[in-house]
Amino acid sequence: MVDAGFIASLLASSIRAGTPLLYATLGETLTERSGILNLGIEGIMITGAFTGFAVSILTGNPWLGVLFAGFAGMALAFIHAFFSITLKANQPITGLMIVLLGLGITGFFGRSYIGEVAVYINPIHIPYLSSLPYVGEILFTHDPLAYIAVILAAVLWFLLFKTRYGLEIIAAGENPEAADSVGVDVDRIRYISTLIGGFLVGIGGAYLSLAYAKLWTEGMTAGRGWICLALVIFSGWMPQRAVLGAYLFGGLDVLSFKLQATGVGISYHLMRMVPYVVTIVVLLFSVIRKRAAFGAPASLGVPYIRGRKQ
Amino acid sequence: MRWNYLAPVISIVASLAVVGVMLAVMGINPLEAYIVMFSRSFASKFGLAELCVKTTPLILTGLAVAIPLRAGLWNIGAEGQLYMGAFAASVVALYINLPEFLVIPLMMAAGAIFGMGWAAIPAFLKAKFDLNEIISTLLLNYVAIYWVEYMVYGPMRGKEVYNFPYTDLFPDAATLPRFFGTRLHLGFLIAILIAIAIYHILKRTDFGFAVRVVGANPRAADYAGISRQKIIFYSMLLGGMLAGIAGMIEVSGIQLRLRPAISTGYGYAGIPVALLASGNPLLVILSASLFGFLYVGGSALQTTYSVPVAIVYVFQALIVLFIIGGQSLRRGD
Repeated sequence: MVDAGFIASLLASSIRAGTPLLYATLGETLTERSGILNLGIEGIMITGAFTGFAVSILTGNPWLGVLFAGFAGMALAFIHAFFSITLKANQPITGLMIVLLGLGITGFFGRSYIGEVAVYINPIHIPYLSSLPYVGEILFTHDPLAYIAVILAAVLWFLLFKTRYGLEIIAAGENPEAADSVGVDVDRIRYISTLIGGFLVGIGGAYLSLAYAKLWTEGMTAGRGWICLALVIFSGWMPQRAVLGAYLFGGLDVLSFKLQATGVGISYHLMRMVPYVVTIVVLLFSVIRKRAAFGAPASLGVPYIRGRKQ
Repeated sequence: MRWNYLAPVISIVASLAVVGVMLAVMGINPLEAYIVMFSRSFASKFGLAELCVKTTPLILTGLAVAIPLRAGLWNIGAEGQLYMGAFAASVVALYINLPEFLVIPLMMAAGAIFGMGWAAIPAFLKAKFDLNEIISTLLLNYVAIYWVEYMVYGPMRGKEVYNFPYTDLFPDAATLPRFFGTRLHLGFLIAILIAIAIYHILKRTDFGFAVRVVGANPRAADYAGISRQKIIFYSMLLGGMLAGIAGMIEVSGIQLRLRPAISTGYGYAGIPVALLASGNPLLVILSASLFGFLYVGGSALQTTYSVPVAIVYVFQALIVLFIIGGQSLRRGD
């Protein structure tokens, strides 16, 4: 039963299931690198999923849906940024309220879209490459957004670690006083990072409704937002590691379905616990070993108030 | 300190206004909608009973957040602690043969211990390794919820439930007594008594004093020879215990069996309940009633206008955002 064909299709599905996670994880990584902890991913993702779906129905263009999902994500991220950066409010609590807000608003306005059919984003089979045995199916049968996600991870890596702008983002997250003292506008950096982060998380949501599940239901993110929060930690705030992490966690999701279908005696519900347990263990390792390469940005979640010792 | 009383009121009114706009967008007259919410909650004994029914778990989860908060800790895990408490109580109700008068007390003890045990994990990790409790309590919620799902889909699925993911109904001895021909049950009284007890514990005991000192001024706690680790640990345990009791009361008073989704976000709603009460256990009763009203009113809107109950989440989020926004603005003065 477990042959090469099974594994190939499992890996291909892992990439599909991991792509929405990847977008959201990259977005949150950018946000957290600048020092803002946005726990609202789940709420932003569901808002993106709904907005993308609704706009695709209204305009008949799924790509406009994706774009507007990004804007909707940005709008929620703006609320978070305003509270965290301008009002210096408690970031975890604000983030949790963003989750409630997203779930509430989409549950409220989304009721009438349940069961509707939108225009979806479909896979393209890349000529020649996709007919390679196994590898073709795994790597070259996806939709454009899945490829863009990987490119985005590379771009984000480059931006963060190879450009001056990335240096400023990281400085804002590690040591905002020092960044401020050399003329970096910490608040501005944090605003921009949070907004772009929200944009990406929103796109992750749109991928879910327009490319992966191809439907809209209330609460369809089903905890993926929290998984992404876990993934950011799991990948050590590194975009390049987020790719593997997202596919791995996506694969776990797929595997739990497939094992259930094949009747292997592992409970679907127990499998769904795994990412959360793994994350807690990873977190634990990271605090025990305190390895810099695995650590959170030093000022993550701490409001920056000029002239106040922290 | 007039602001302390004014701020929640302003926040509530502002949230009602925003939700009113949302209702209007959907073509519903907000004023009429709010009248429906009020009349459904207050105009009959059934409405009032439902109000108490929804308020009951919110008092306990509100306390489960409020107590650790007084010690400076965020317990986002009340939802999971509630589920674990419900699970343990259900095991006692279904599988343990006891003299009838012992069933309820033992269910409550089991719920309390499992809620406490579930909170002990993040509490230990926080006290020992300084692992962020917000993230760990949050992640453990999902583990607890999937654990209950696993149980009711698998080992604990009842024999008389066809293919539904339920356990069998509890025996009568395992259900809390109900009153006035409504769903109002003994749990409501228990929750209020617990809130009063917690108020006195925080106010009058050494433990309560230590909790307040650790929360208000950690350094002063060190000088006073109070072990911060210990207080962090025990305040979280106490919170988890109450959330576990909330789970026991939900299955024993309302659901009468274990099933998935026994809580519609009561654990998370505990956060705004605690914030609105600024951590005061007696005020928690009041703010829990407000959110209980939102739950009852929300389902009234659903039956009357088929507005999704999700509107309750919007209310909750807005109230908290307005409160913390207001606090921050004032701090900035």
